[in-house]
Amino acid sequence: MLEIRSIAKSFPGVQALADVSVTFRSGEIHAVLGENGAGKSTLLRVLCGVVQPDAGRLVLDGAPLFLRDYRDAIANRISTVHQEIQVVPLASVAENIMLDKLALFRRGPFLDWPRLEAEARRRMEQVGLGVPPRTPAGALSAAQKQLAAIARALSSGARLLLLDEPTSSLTSHEAATLFSLLRRLRADGVAIVFVSHKLEEVLALCDTITVLRDGRLIGTRPRSELDRDLIVEMMIGRTMVDRHRGLLPVRPGGPVLEVRGLRSEFFDGLDLVLRPGEILGLYGLVGSGRSELARTIIGEYPHAGGEIRVHGERARISCVHDALHRYGIGYVSENRKEDGLILGASVTTNIAVTMWGKLADRIPGFFNPRRELAHARAMIDRLEIRTPSPFQIVANLSGGNQQKVSIAKWLAAGCDILIIDEPTVGVDVGAKSYIHELIWKMASEEGKSVILISSDMPEMISLARRILVFKEFRVVAELDDLNATTLSHEEVGRRIGAVLA
Amino acid sequence: MTAPSPDGGAAPTGHATPSPGWGGAALFRAFSRRSDASAVAATTVLFVAFSLGTANFLSPFNQFNVWRAASQNVFIALGQAMVVLIGGMNLSLGAIGGLTVVIIGHSIEVLGWPPALAVAAGLATGGACGLLNGFFISRFRLNSFVVTLASSFVFQGLVNGISQGRPYSKIPASFTAVGKGAFLGMPNLLLLAAVALVLIHVAFRYTVVGRQLLATGGNAETARLSGIKTGRMVVLANVLSGLFGSLAAALWVSRMGTAQPATGGDWLIVSFAVTVIGGTALSGGTISAPGFLFAGLLMALIRNGLIMLGVNVYFEQSYLGCIIMLAVLVEYFRTTVASRARRL
Repeated sequence: MLEIRSIAKSFPGVQALADVSVTFRSGEIHAVLGENGAGKSTLLRVLCGVVQPDAGRLVLDGAPLFLRDYRDAIANRISTVHQEIQVVPLASVAENIMLDKLALFRRGPFLDWPRLEAEARRRMEQVGLGVPPRTPAGALSAAQKQLAAIARALSSGARLLLLDEPTSSLTSHEAATLFSLLRRLRADGVAIVFVSHKLEEVLALCDTITVLRDGRLIGTRPRSELDRDLIVEMMIGRTMVDRHRGLLPVRPGGPVLEVRGLRSEFFDGLDLVLRPGEILGLYGLVGSGRSELARTIIGEYPHAGGEIRVHGERARISCVHDALHRYGIGYVSENRKEDGLILGASVTTNIAVTMWGKLADRIPGFFNPRRELAHARAMIDRLEIRTPSPFQIVANLSGGNQQKVSIAKWLAAGCDILIIDEPTVGVDVGAKSYIHELIWKMASEEGKSVILISSDMPEMISLARRILVFKEFRVVAELDDLNATTLSHEEVGRRIGAVLA
Repeated sequence: MTAPSPDGGAAPTGHATPSPGWGGAALFRAFSRRSDASAVAATTVLFVAFSLGTANFLSPFNQFNVWRAASQNVFIALGQAMVVLIGGMNLSLGAIGGLTVVIIGHSIEVLGWPPALAVAAGLATGGACGLLNGFFISRFRLNSFVVTLASSFVFQGLVNGISQGRPYSKIPASFTAVGKGAFLGMPNLLLLAAVALVLIHVAFRYTVVGRQLLATGGNAETARLSGIKTGRMVVLANVLSGLFGSLAAALWVSRMGTAQPATGGDWLIVSFAVTVIGGTALSGGTISAPGFLFAGLLMALIRNGLIMLGVNVYFEQSYLGCIIMLAVLVEYFRTTVASRARRL
């Protein structure tokens, strides 16, 4: 039905897609797989008209197709359900579903509410969304919002449905409901493009699988020809070799950080122990409570009960300032663009932001910008941050270099406990392996204690030597023998999978 | 000289330059990347145009007045800039100015206080008003627009209540010496503005607090997650805003020789115009000290020029509005061109 031929797209510093050709057919669920930064989302954005390719073309039913924007895609019956589900929270479900077609339900200058709701109800039945059409969309659960988003796509008469990580915020039961809906749509002849990180659901659901790596097409094959190992090999490819990092040295001394019986808006009695010089992994789905835990430890979110101990002593942390300056705890945010970096400021400012107080000269409160610059240059060299100058605005750096800056500021601050949240999202492969190497060395050579939060299984297995598995704001399992024996990646992956299933 | 977050040597290609071989091309490109480039360019053009176009523009008397008005604008704008740079605004700046004027006038005329004490009371009032704004904005996470809109009415009510709408005219000559006098032929106010701008430049480049304020304006979430107490920064910025508002008001009284309760009525537009045209982004995170002087002068030139050209004074605001709109548009095109060049 829709063919893409030799599509290429580059962004400053990154070749996001190079010579990718894929055919999507009606009545088929087509998975697009790849690691972070492999080009999946760029491919989706090309398909839904948000991004225009530099080269190559789209062919719809044999005729060339040019998509200038998102509306063009919808007019060609290509609809997208985004990863971050967007609804107008105060408007009703019915309005949300019919949002782009409200003009069709006019009666004079007014809205024909009965007709609108009847049509919305029909679409809701189709996707199995059983709430009154007048419910405010903000009151829906994540899964219900997802269904509403699919209903909206279908109401545009979608023939090609693009789903970007549709299950990332769903429980397994909700995901199962979604899958049966997708199977029904397939039977109705809709072409579905399914982007996911979760191999199990892809294997269970999809008919055809396309794998991308570093923006290149590795292959498109029918599901029947593939198994899990083969897909992993296609996804990871040659980089598989340098992933074995061995074991971390065991360092003497009591725990550097302990969380005991933590209770808050999110947690009901959570425990965690971080030992010196280890990399502790927090694995789980997005929204399973890992980032909330990190932000509670650093004092960004309050806690009502339980205690946090640093080096054996009870810590009083009421804001990030306390965590950093009293206890040397740093938090590398998962959203570098939103709260990890000051995008409009220079590399120097971003690196030094945590250390100005320490740079103070003879006159209290003043500091010497030359010392600031020296520290920034040292970090730029040490982390091999590729920037034309220390004064470059951070917004102009590539994702990988931005991430290095966002880690650098905590190294500059001299933290010895680092919580690193999703360090390689949206980072190209080269920078990714560099960041992995950096995290590994911080623990193995410098003895820093690291909590690594990641949804990227290979990353987690490659770095963490103890893993806590999170599910619905609880720790459901601890894998504590990873630093004793060298288990294969597949073995560890299988054990985590078994816990989460 | 642009204070923190300097525009780096980013743009690989610059704007259209007169000729590729021109030696000043690099200089021109570097200049056009400065956030205060529009203000500098427009002010220079206007200055030259008025010098050539009107007979009396360059007369010492007129120059003295223009530069004095420009300096006054600088202080008013600094009051706004202190909150704009953290991404906020102060709609009560004019009312704080009015209240300070009334407090000073009342202290001197009714209570018979010495001028120094009256000014101290005025500055304390401004600081307290800013503290009040900052407290509500940071403690309850309220929008600065709403808070300062409400507080502007509170302050304006105090102005009217205390003064009963009546000006205070018994301002001693020792007080007006500052605002009316000159030093080496330059208005005292200009020297004071220059000192203030140097202090501002130093504060936002070389002090921990200054940089933390800018970081808060650049991205408050990031700043907080980097261990900066952003709540305190918001309060501090608002106190500074109030203080500069009062300082501007005290100088206003000194310059006019009377304490008019109506003072501050047009400060809102002046403060925003000078701040924005001077290159301090409304989104926060930057400040350019020299930009204030140029933009302050620009505003003074426009007013002065309109009078020299014999424009009907009743329409003055319309002209001012149009010219400010034009300046903002120029700034818009400058930044789009700059970012386009960067993307290529």
